[in-house]
Amino acid sequence: MTIEASYFDYPRRGPGMDQDRYPYRRLARSPAVAWPGGAKLLVWVTLHLEHFPMDMPAKPFLPAGGMNRPGVSVWDYTQRDYGNRVGFYRLMKLFDRHGIRPTVAMNSQVAVRYPFLLERIVERGWEIAASGVDMGHLHYGGLDEAAERAQVEQSFGDLRRLSGQPVTGWHSPAHSQSQNTPDLVAEAGGLYIADWINDDMPYVFATRGGTLTQMPLSYDLSDRKILYQQSLPSSVYAQQVEMACGCLREEADTRGGRILSLSLSPWVAGLPAQIRTIDALLGRILATPDTRPANGEEIRAAWTASAAG
Amino acid sequence: MPAEPFNYDYAPYLNRPKIVWPDGKRLAFWVAPNIEFYEYAPPPSAARSVWYRPEPDILNYSMRDYGNRVGFDRMADVMARYGVRGSVSLNVALCDHFPEIIERCCELDWELFSHGVYNTRYLYGMTEDQQREIIRDSRDTIRRISGQSLDGWLSPAISNEATTQDLLAEEGLLYTLDLFHDDQPMPVNTRSGRRFVSIPYMMDVNDVPVLNFRNISPPDYLQLIKDHFDQLYEEGAESGTVMCLPLHPYLIGQPHRLWLLDEALKYVTSHDGVWLATGREIAKWYLDHGYDDARAFIAGVNGRAA
Repeated sequence: MTIEASYFDYPRRGPGMDQDRYPYRRLARSPAVAWPGGAKLLVWVTLHLEHFPMDMPAKPFLPAGGMNRPGVSVWDYTQRDYGNRVGFYRLMKLFDRHGIRPTVAMNSQVAVRYPFLLERIVERGWEIAASGVDMGHLHYGGLDEAAERAQVEQSFGDLRRLSGQPVTGWHSPAHSQSQNTPDLVAEAGGLYIADWINDDMPYVFATRGGTLTQMPLSYDLSDRKILYQQSLPSSVYAQQVEMACGCLREEADTRGGRILSLSLSPWVAGLPAQIRTIDALLGRILATPDTRPANGEEIRAAWTASAAG
Repeated sequence: MPAEPFNYDYAPYLNRPKIVWPDGKRLAFWVAPNIEFYEYAPPPSAARSVWYRPEPDILNYSMRDYGNRVGFDRMADVMARYGVRGSVSLNVALCDHFPEIIERCCELDWELFSHGVYNTRYLYGMTEDQQREIIRDSRDTIRRISGQSLDGWLSPAISNEATTQDLLAEEGLLYTLDLFHDDQPMPVNTRSGRRFVSIPYMMDVNDVPVLNFRNISPPDYLQLIKDHFDQLYEEGAESGTVMCLPLHPYLIGQPHRLWLLDEALKYVTSHDGVWLATGREIAKWYLDHGYDDARAFIAGVNGRAA
């Protein structure tokens, strides 16, 4: 193994980032944001509705929740499908009771397959954000651009047609993007993406089709990461969310409005063993002074209208 | 590949020469924040894959970018509250990308040492001259931005070559963190025979393995830190011990974890026998007050003259 001289070339070693999507920004030195109505902390609940085809490819990588049996993966398929059959309605009642209108980030195939479910979302006026076609169609580095454009257009197209909503948000399945995904989202009329996990506040994201807003959607603090991938108990999940709420709420007093992102999946948070914890947790979060729920498009618009945006 | 590192001799943790830290302290506590830059499009490495997903791996790239945008200031605020300085394990290219971060480190009187140029450039497979180039780049960059000397080293992504410790000693560094073999500083054997030491850098309380690999919950991580401290504090009465808390701002600076750093530092700093030190300060004290006794002890144990 020899190391070529080019290994010591550092073409992007200089001020700022080593890619051109956004300039460096230090949150602690950023202008304070004032949310409409005087709220200090906005709680952004996202509900992730997904369809995992049983014959989904294992490459280039298997997303969390993917088919993991050596043969026909009925186990995984049905556990994921449980979310759209049962978990969703359990969470729907919970959100209704707490006055939460989440952003529903959905694979377009969920809307195509389950019109009844889509109707419940639409009649509540919940915001729909596009989240690809299904979990068997990931967006990843090296994906052919024409194929990916078709996926992005299918996702936005089906969701807009079936819901009648403008659908301005995008969340890539499994937080995975190709080198072109943000460009294709902008070209499809998207206004925000929620895939990069490098900030607690929105920022401006450059694409060849104009700028997008990159919104902070939690990954480490998601139910999927803590309860499913890390197999930690629900008390640990609740404790972490409460600590995040306290930290961000306190920071908002001196550094401007903040966002608490609660990323929930019906096949995780909608389980009987989890739902009571989620219920109590939402109650405590929403009882925090100067805290209220908001959806993605509301936060995007408010942030863009603020001095910081 | 050598059969062992050949950088140290056997030294039982029993009846060792007594170490007493400055002012009679029994435990040297130091915090090592890893301030890192992972490249978006790094050159490929023959030794390992750099990213986990096909590039661009925006999930993992942006996860680490969080530390430099958000986590660093939160972590530094908590450390300053308890008068705890950092000894920065620094990817030195970060000085060129985000000099304002380094500016704040210097204002807080933190030490800078090298963790390579980028965390996505490994020493694996490098010739001695190529490794020297990385060491010298580190020394020049740190001196240019801070005026500090380069005294300490943690190989980027712990990507050692067999000769790395020899080269660090020859280039005039004082200490290495690549050896995880002890709870006290130790002399390091290198081919030049220069006085060069290892300082404990504990992977077992490092937030990356604890939180990312072992899936330990934040409350359990706090308990782990306290347990680790309690034992070393007790043993430090017999002979001074070292506790390192290695951190990554992209993990510990998250709003759901910051509290545990606050609790941990509150706990440690409430003990009178703690010396709040930097890596450089520990290395210098040990070189002046512990190194020769340790050499003699090790020679005796292994049945030869020091």
